[in-house]
Amino acid sequence: MVSKTEETQLNRLENQVDNGGGGAWEYLCLVRKLKVRRSEKVLKYGLSILNDLKKRSSLGSEEWTLYEQVAIAAMDCQSLDVAKDCIRLLRKAFPESKRVGRLEAMLLEAKGSWAEAEKAYSSFLEENPLDQVIHKRRVAMAKAQGNISGAIEWLNKYLEIFMADHDAWRELAEIYVSLQMYKQAVFCYEELILSQPTVPLHHLAYADVLYTLGGLENLQTAKKYYASVIDLTGGKNTRALFGINLCTSAIGQLAKGRNKEDKESLELQSLAATALEKDYKQRAPEKLSLLTTALKSLKVSS
Amino acid sequence: MGGELRYEIAQNAYIKLVLHALKHKTSAVNGILLGRVSPQSDVVEITDSVPLFHSHIGLLPQLEISLILIEEHFAAKGVSIVGYFHANERFDDHELGGIAKNVGDHIYRYLPQAAILLLDNRKLEALSKTKDRSPVVQLYTKDASRTWKLVGSDGNQLTIKEPSANVVLLDYISTEKWQDVVDFDDHLDDISKDWLNPELFK
Repeated sequence: MVSKTEETQLNRLENQVDNGGGGAWEYLCLVRKLKVRRSEKVLKYGLSILNDLKKRSSLGSEEWTLYEQVAIAAMDCQSLDVAKDCIRLLRKAFPESKRVGRLEAMLLEAKGSWAEAEKAYSSFLEENPLDQVIHKRRVAMAKAQGNISGAIEWLNKYLEIFMADHDAWRELAEIYVSLQMYKQAVFCYEELILSQPTVPLHHLAYADVLYTLGGLENLQTAKKYYASVIDLTGGKNTRALFGINLCTSAIGQLAKGRNKEDKESLELQSLAATALEKDYKQRAPEKLSLLTTALKSLKVSS
Repeated sequence: MGGELRYEIAQNAYIKLVLHALKHKTSAVNGILLGRVSPQSDVVEITDSVPLFHSHIGLLPQLEISLILIEEHFAAKGVSIVGYFHANERFDDHELGGIAKNVGDHIYRYLPQAAILLLDNRKLEALSKTKDRSPVVQLYTKDASRTWKLVGSDGNQLTIKEPSANVVLLDYISTEKWQDVVDFDDHLDDISKDWLNPELFK
């Protein structure tokens, strides 16, 4: 997962390269470090370096890292000929390499030769059962073939071994949400909050799923977690501010007649509303009146 | 009198949704269709669209907020929500999933003529070769049996108002115009981004 500063830095570098300001190699290194998916750009700029003899030789041994990065990007963009060439060159340079073998198996997957790829991945895992990349390729293959329940099964098995893999937990949660299996998604986000309690995105996603599940208890918990997002982000998270309003409104409708919680929750709701209005006034003034009407419709009528 | 209900989508509403799907190739996306039912009740005119999300599509909070804001904005113009657009994550997934049906059901409660449009990935991919004039989406409506049924594409039940819309679409694709599309997700991440996309087709 990438922080906002890292993403801004990456986008700035990307814009620079896009506009001819150089820095392609730095960009490619940053993409690799942050493990983000920008395959079209990686393919374009990676190839521009690899196809230029001078640029390529100035990389020294890093040339092979670039071939690997471009091969994977090429497979993602379905430029299979480019991928094949890169892999062939890597194979020549490293005839015994398992790492290249992995790329060759991934090429089978990219071509859609599912059975052969599955065989290759299985044999890799037999020799090295702790190869995280191959485990995840198997999940990805199941997903690509539309075998979502298979993907869930493989991913759960993976998480039994690698339970600290936050990205995997997030992937599993997102798959559950896409299938409307909200209770299972809740479990994933709980794991994430336990292991990374100060990452606001986990709290936000957790709150969103709880709200979606509905019911008084879930709504009250959701509100708490929206509040903790606001706490962790210094009040700057628009979604959490909206979330507070939605929760208060929904709770109000469900708990009609129970006056105990009203005062505090109304205060929190109007604080959130005020924060939103202040932000919109500054950054999206043409939408301010729309916002005010919307927030009014969410106000609990006492 | 008689005859089936037709659906007509304006070029800009149509292109905006397809470009949105192309901007987020690796995820499912969705959007809202806006318009009105013609006075004679024989045509549903889809005059505009708002791209909604490209992540966590099955979650309610962002959907509810977006619907409140969208309804409010367009009500002032006498335009209301007439349907829902969905594009599946995977290329060969042609099924209308649970989430799409649920949102469709919600809109149906207010408008029985509500339409769901599902992006037809194969048709979109083949567009540059076939030069087809019909929209690259599948139309679903709810019939008396209360289930969402695919409306056959052989009849002309869904047409694009401007006949050369796909030509314009192909042109936009070649210039990567999808980069300029702003959806509700983008707005919630940065409220200075306008989900109305006022400059998109200028």
